[in-house]
Amino acid sequence: MSKKLVELLTHPTELQAAIQFFYFKQPLHIPVPGSENLQRCYYILNQTSRSFVAVIQELHPELRDVIMIFYLVLRALDTIEDDMTLDPSIKIPLLREFDSKLDLKDWTFDGSGPNEKDRIVLVEFDKVLTEYHLLKPQYQEVIKDITYKMGNGMADYILDDNFNLNGLATIKDYDLYCHYVAGLVGEGLTKLMVLAKFSDKSLVEDNFQKSNSMGLFLQKTNIIRDYHEDLEDGRSFWPKEVWGKYTDKLPSFHEDTSPESEIQGLNCISDLVLNALSHAKEVLEFLSLVKDPSTFSFCAIPQVMAVATLAEVYNNPAVFHSNVKIRRGTTCSLILQCRNFPGVVNIFRKYIQNINHKSSVKDPNYLKIGIKCGEIEQFCETLYPDLKSLPKGVTPASTDITKSLESRKSIDQSMQRRMDQESYNLNISLLIILSIATGILYKFVF
Amino acid sequence: MTTELKSVLLIGGAGFLGLHLIEQFSKLSPGTSIHVFDVRPLPEKLSTYFTFDPSSIKFHQGDLTSEKDVSDAIIESQCQVIVHSASPMHGLPQEIYEKVNIKGTQNLIKIAKQHSSIVKALVYTSSAGVIFNGQNIKNADESWPYPEVHMDGYNETKAIAETAVMEANSPELLTVCLRPAGIFGPGDRQLVPGLRASAKLGQSKYQLGDNNNLFDWTYVGNVADSHVLAAQKILDPNYADKIGGETFFITNDAPTYFWTLARTVWKADGYIDKYYIKLSRPLGIVLGYLSEAFSNLAGKEPGITPFRVKVVCAHRYHNISKAKSILGYTPNVDLETGIKYTLDWMNETN
Repeated sequence: MSKKLVELLTHPTELQAAIQFFYFKQPLHIPVPGSENLQRCYYILNQTSRSFVAVIQELHPELRDVIMIFYLVLRALDTIEDDMTLDPSIKIPLLREFDSKLDLKDWTFDGSGPNEKDRIVLVEFDKVLTEYHLLKPQYQEVIKDITYKMGNGMADYILDDNFNLNGLATIKDYDLYCHYVAGLVGEGLTKLMVLAKFSDKSLVEDNFQKSNSMGLFLQKTNIIRDYHEDLEDGRSFWPKEVWGKYTDKLPSFHEDTSPESEIQGLNCISDLVLNALSHAKEVLEFLSLVKDPSTFSFCAIPQVMAVATLAEVYNNPAVFHSNVKIRRGTTCSLILQCRNFPGVVNIFRKYIQNINHKSSVKDPNYLKIGIKCGEIEQFCETLYPDLKSLPKGVTPASTDITKSLESRKSIDQSMQRRMDQESYNLNISLLIILSIATGILYKFVF
Repeated sequence: MTTELKSVLLIGGAGFLGLHLIEQFSKLSPGTSIHVFDVRPLPEKLSTYFTFDPSSIKFHQGDLTSEKDVSDAIIESQCQVIVHSASPMHGLPQEIYEKVNIKGTQNLIKIAKQHSSIVKALVYTSSAGVIFNGQNIKNADESWPYPEVHMDGYNETKAIAETAVMEANSPELLTVCLRPAGIFGPGDRQLVPGLRASAKLGQSKYQLGDNNNLFDWTYVGNVADSHVLAAQKILDPNYADKIGGETFFITNDAPTYFWTLARTVWKADGYIDKYYIKLSRPLGIVLGYLSEAFSNLAGKEPGITPFRVKVVCAHRYHNISKAKSILGYTPNVDLETGIKYTLDWMNETN
């Protein structure tokens, strides 16, 4: 706790962001309590995900409960998959047929191990089912479809001895694994958002390429960051095709503390960061097509946290020995800033430059990282050209994406006014507090 | 349907880009007979980089400003397309630029029009520098105008020549201007050799500016590819009016931070600095003025000038969507490979 306080005090702009976040941020939608059963579901959500609950609660009423239920269903699936006490003869069929449980009214499961932190979801799954059946049929269908695909994907990985023994071999394997654990969630959410008319329908017409990138960008960032934590759990998701270039044994980055080993490890991180950055452009394209502000925030928050985390883990040897995280104050300021598309683009630009500045000439991927950062910056420039550099009489070329930015301009502007109002309120309040404090001090001294 | 390109005349074909034009035309357009027109002959000994057979190239020695020399070459070569890439190096007297870039180009247009039964199209190698005057160029496309004052005499004469080529476009003689940015590669006398020289002087440990500024470099073989594409497509009736009278930026489509490119060259050359001395842009400009003042007193060339500092700290990159979509251009050799080819060539020739 005191460490966090010191962090905040040494980063005054983040302290300000934290105050704004906790005391001045206006929710877009205020949830109505709903039935007792629904409230119980939100209680379960609160128990299983502290980070997601706030953003889900602020969602537009059209999707709030849908996404909450989708989340709990996937959490249930994940709890079964994670549970090492479950016998495969129970676990595998359960994962494969989990979608059919969604047809039932009162199915529950209390066979999870006692240490499964989220076992409550399965124990009280009937409550989830009740709400699931109240959803519009088209939403139910999406949730069921993704549950089916994901459950079977999980079962396949559990049965894959090669994966369990040796981890992921190729970058293709890595992409596919990330698709199952994150890309599919992106696909489901995208379908829901398009059905609700909150996002452009082109997002379901690209073979889910962009929504997959949304998932892969997040998952790959987590996989890089969680090297040490996963190692302690006796697993790893870094693909051998990448780490094999830098070491014979993946744990060596942690175990061998020689400078040579550390340099190899950092080069390996750089290679993985380069790979993750290949999704950044599509992430921005995706977000540009999400119109409803609450859905936009819901999608954007994890992505801006991911790009900040990538910059944090890049060239950072602490990844090999601890759990690297971005500061809480940074998180607050990111959440406040990413509420419209220009805000997201600014955040991406900032962290891309950060990565560029952190790069090391000795890294074999030095130029590739520079080119990748340049590519993303050029893309950002296409989105929002620097008007100061534009010669007189030149209008930037109109492309599909600039047209879609034009169509969302009023939404982004109204969010901007909201954001400006909040920080105005904050600054006025700080000014008043400061004046009172000065007044008291003045009285004291004289 | 593409009209087959039977014969091409490469003006300045013995130069830096010229040799790569020969190389890429022989590789990508094997049915085309290649004619070279230049003041100087083809080099006697070619770098091992080049694979074309010099005996298959028909050489026409002549002066670009001479009506007769140009006319003879056109008649002898029976060329359908002229590729004009003759251009003097940077840092020469203004008269040379005016002679080659302006008078030479005007002469070429005039004579080509007189032989409209033979010559159908002219591909001119312009330069991305025609829109640059030290200011930021961020993601520029072909709609950007020339600056009111050009960066130097070289770019001014290139812009005048480009305008002449554009204005000459007509159904009888289709013209197109390609504007490469930052050409480097085997045969390069400026970009990469300049960096190698500055590293030898111990300058690699300095950084001017914040290294947020993006630059375009273009591998010379890719520039040559764009010329082959333009020469082939301009004869295609489906493309003629999309290409004729147009300008195209040509880059490696990989804008990269200025110092990142420089350090990549230095690294490939064996220079890796442990730390960098970073000078901000304003400080650099002040040092530039001081250096200029002292050099004037001492009667020497200044090491840095305010203008050079501004150029090094400016953004200078382009949007090449037009070349990609209309010419079908893609940079086939990436920057890293291009730098390797260049250093290999430098090591071979020195």
